[in-house]
Order: sequence, then C-alpha cells, then structure tokens
Amino acid sequence: MNTRTAARPNRSSLSKFALACLLWPALALAHVGQGDISGGFLAGVAHPVLGPDHVVAMVAVGMWGAQLGAPAIWVLPVTFPIVMAFGGALGGLGVPIPGIEIGIALSAIVLGGMIAIARRPPLWTAAIVVGVFAIFHGHAHGAELPESANAISYSVGFVAATGSLHALGILIGVANRWSAGAKVLRAVGGLIAACGFYFLTGHLIAG
Amino acid sequence: MPARLSKPAASAGVAVCLLLAAGSAYAHSAAPGAGDFYAGALHALTALEHVLPFLALGILAGQQGRKAEPVLLVFCLALAAGATVALWTPPLPYIGLLNIVSAILFGGLVAAAWSLPMAFCYGIAAVFGLSHGFANGAGMIEQTKPYLYIPGVALAGLAVTAYGLIVTDYLLRRKAYWIHIAVRVAGSWIAAMGILVLASSGSAILKA
Repeated sequence: MNTRTAARPNRSSLSKFALACLLWPALALAHVGQGDISGGFLAGVAHPVLGPDHVVAMVAVGMWGAQLGAPAIWVLPVTFPIVMAFGGALGGLGVPIPGIEIGIALSAIVLGGMIAIARRPPLWTAAIVVGVFAIFHGHAHGAELPESANAISYSVGFVAATGSLHALGILIGVANRWSAGAKVLRAVGGLIAACGFYFLTGHLIAG
Repeated sequence: MPARLSKPAASAGVAVCLLLAAGSAYAHSAAPGAGDFYAGALHALTALEHVLPFLALGILAGQQGRKAEPVLLVFCLALAAGATVALWTPPLPYIGLLNIVSAILFGGLVAAAWSLPMAFCYGIAAVFGLSHGFANGAGMIEQTKPYLYIPGVALAGLAVTAYGLIVTDYLLRRKAYWIHIAVRVAGSWIAAMGILVLASSGSAILKA
C-alpha cells in the first residue's frame, strides 16, 4: 500500500463525513431559543446570512475592496465591523433612521455599480460611501439585538458572519488579478447592482 | 479490510479522547476541596464578557512585543485584588458595563495597532483587571473558599491572556503581511462585539 492511495479518502469515509454534515445542523439547531450560548450565536449568524439584500451588499464590500487593491483591501475589514457596530448600537438603542431598507437596497446598487464601472475613487470617498452603508446595515441588525436571548453571543455570531461575508467578497475579488477574472468581477458587480434595483422596487411597491 | 485512519483523523481522535479523559479526571480531583479553585476559573472562562476582553488584552500585549509580558502579570494581580475587594464590598450593578468597555478599548487598540507606552498598558491592565476581578469575585457565596476561588479567577485570566500573547507573538513573527491585518481584524471584531453588547445593555438600562 503506497502513501498516495492511503491519503485518498475512500467512499466509506466520505459517506461518514456527509452523514456528520447532515446531523450537525440538527444538533446545533436543537438549542435555538433556549437562551444558551449557541442559541444567541446562531441567531446572530443567521440574521446577516439569511437576508439576500445584506448578503449581496456585504460580498460587494469585500469585492470592491479587493478591486481597489491596497490600502483599501486592508482598511476595509479592520474599520467596517466597528462602524457597523456603531450603526447596530443606534438600532439597539432605538434611535430611528428613516428609510433603512431603501438605504440597504441603494448600497447594493452603488457598490455593485462601482465594481461594474471599475473606477478607483480616492480612499476617503470609498471609505465614506462604505461607512454610511455600514451604519444602515448595522442599524437593521441591531434593531433586533434587545430581543435576542443572549446579547453577547448574538453579537459574536453577527460580527463573525458579516466578517466572513467580507472575506468571501475579498476572495472573489482575487480574480481581479487576471484580465478575464477582472471582466467576470465587473459582470458580478453589475449583477449585484441589478439585485439592488430589484430590492429597491420591491420596497417602493410595498411601501 | 477496514479503512485505516489518516494522520489528521487519528490525531483528532486522540485529541477527543484526551478531552474526554480530562473530563473524567476532573470529577475525581486528587485534592479534595479544590473545587472552589475551578469554580473561580470557570466563572471567568465560561463568560464571553470576560473571555473576549482577556483575549483582546493578550493580543494587544503580543502586538506590543515581548517587552509587554509583565502587563499580563499586572492584569493577573489586579484580577486577584479586584476579587478580594469584592469580599467586603456590596455588588456594584454597573461593573459589567466597565468590563464591556474594556472589550471595546482593548479590541480598538488592537485594530489601531499603535505602539503604546508601557505605562499606559500597565494602567489599563490594572484598572480593568480590578473591574473584571470584582465582577468575578461577586460570584462567591457564603460557603466559597476565597483562598481557592480568587487564585482560580486570577490564573484563568493569566492563562487566557498568555494564550493571546503567545499566539499573536508567534503569528507576527511570520513574514506574511496579511497576518498583521488578520490580527487587527480580530481586534476590530472584538471591539464591534463590545459596542453591540454595550448598546444592548444600555437599552436594557434605559427601559428599566
């Protein structure tokens, strides 16, 4: 038996892994709402991940940072969570911000549009654009903070989920290094902007 | 022929066995009465409002370099002092807010990645060591033995902060530039969590 065949996963280990994956969420979800650590944590993770308007905007933030390159790609993941938490604090304290859902839809349009046209604005302009939208997104999540069973584990889940969405965007943005990848990136930006228009018309018709 | 375990799978299995073994050893503590030591340690270790700032302080010290090692000792002693003060002082209702502020401050400083004067590091370690120590010390009841519980709290604090320092110091010695950013992002996450929890506690206080 040589080492190469030993290292290859066989069918039985793959199926065990698949079984474990299937059982895992059932185990974790069984504790939602009991006020324990996993309950607050999962609620915190779920909130940013389950809203498509948040997901596309957060991924767009990471993609735009990667497209802008250094230093934006580094400034962004360090400052965004703190600015967003500030917005979340306003939401948690019940400070009203009008048109939150409109602002979130606009963030997808603007961020996606910036990726699509592939312009490089000065860093401070990009920072202000992203910062304003960070407050809108944070406010929407933070408004549900007081109702969560465990505030601290909700915050841990919420910040980790948002940060992971940025990381996903940055990873996608790595494609910008290749000329074909850069075109795909711009196309995805256009797609995100289109999603933003869809969310916006939905809110305008409903509201 | 049964599939042979791969190396990572085997080591993961061993790790799980060791963890389970540690659990059973716990129940048969060799020194009877040492339970209050673990009560103190677990009081700090099972609460994120203590663990997150501890970790952030350890990362901050690691970011400042090896010269910052005494900061952890100051923090550990301040934890013990704060827990001792709690023996004679009535519980302070808002001490938890100060502990959340420490998460924002330590995390924010890690995110900023400034080179800090050592006197400042000693100062924040002492002040927030006292507040965390007090909050943990307030968990003691009539039957708790303070001479076991307080070292438990202090050593738990030392262990978590030392873990943060050692890991950060090790990572920052790697050459890759992104590791510096990853450490700052970790600080930013802890600060963001602190801001959200502070807002949540704030809204609870406003409603009360």
